[in-house]
Amino acid sequence: MRAETLKGHLDGMLLAALEAGPRHGYAVMEALRAGSGGQFDLPTGTVYPALRRLERAGLIRGTWAEASGRRRRVYELTPAGRRALADERGSWRQFAAAVTALLEPAHHPAAP
Amino acid sequence: MTGGAGIEAYLCQIAAALPGPARNRDDIIAELRSGLLDAADAYCAGGYTPGEAAAAAVAEFGDPRQVAAAFRPEIAARQARRLALTLITTGPLIGLLWITAATASHVAIRDAPPWHWPGMPPAAPVAVPLFGAIFLTFVSAAAATVAATGPLARWLPSSYRTAPATAAIAGFAAAAADLAALILLASKLASAPASLAPVPVLAAAAASLTRITLARRAARHCMTARAALS
Repeated sequence: MRAETLKGHLDGMLLAALEAGPRHGYAVMEALRAGSGGQFDLPTGTVYPALRRLERAGLIRGTWAEASGRRRRVYELTPAGRRALADERGSWRQFAAAVTALLEPAHHPAAP
Repeated sequence: MTGGAGIEAYLCQIAAALPGPARNRDDIIAELRSGLLDAADAYCAGGYTPGEAAAAAVAEFGDPRQVAAAFRPEIAARQARRLALTLITTGPLIGLLWITAATASHVAIRDAPPWHWPGMPPAAPVAVPLFGAIFLTFVSAAAATVAATGPLARWLPSSYRTAPATAAIAGFAAAAADLAALILLASKLASAPASLAPVPVLAAAAASLTRITLARRAARHCMTARAALS
């Protein structure tokens, strides 16, 4: 999938990747890759600036933590981040339902 | 080449392309390093040699110029926010120093326009309204910067080029306010130097001179960071 197609939805997907619990940057990227069935091929290095932006916006919180012998920056959702994810999810469902209704072949005959 | 050397060379390329303060850059590089090592570990677990795993991790992270470019708006926004917040917190302190200097120097603050206060320097009719205009510019530019770089940004229609510009305006406005205060002091020195209280006046003047230097430099850094945004 092209990076531009992805860009508008990256924030929501990053928030979703953190919904189940705190994760470090590389684990967020692995979750995106696994969750999309390998469809998302954006450079891993560009996920980190996006995480920093969400942190500055108060949607996630990042802290350095020591885990299995390596210091990692671990991110978790803030209450504002949970609300933003719920908003994102709601508007995506509306949008997807409308696009699906228009793009899928009609199962009923057109009105005369 | 061992795996670690490949990763370090890649990080050096990114670090060289990142602007801004070293502390910020070190934090970003440390996070990328731990991510690259995680990636290399994953490739090693998949049967790669350490050298191959490091090369694969570097390839997965992407073109170092592209990664550095993706960080640049973020660095510029942080720089802008820090400048605006520093100015907002130190501003009242410097104002208080000047008010102390004025009251100690027999400027009687009254219920009248400031330039009619007894003991005010001769430059007051020009400097005081000028100071008011500078103050309004400062407050709106600093507030706009803080709003555009924090949680409020989600509801604001602004480009990532805006905050570095408004932060620079706030920085230059703060320096201009200090200049206005120093001009008032100079005109008082010229007209009635004996009425000045030396210690509070020196403290206020030193604080303003320091802020002129620091605020102008920080504002210029913001403009440089903004110019580097494509």
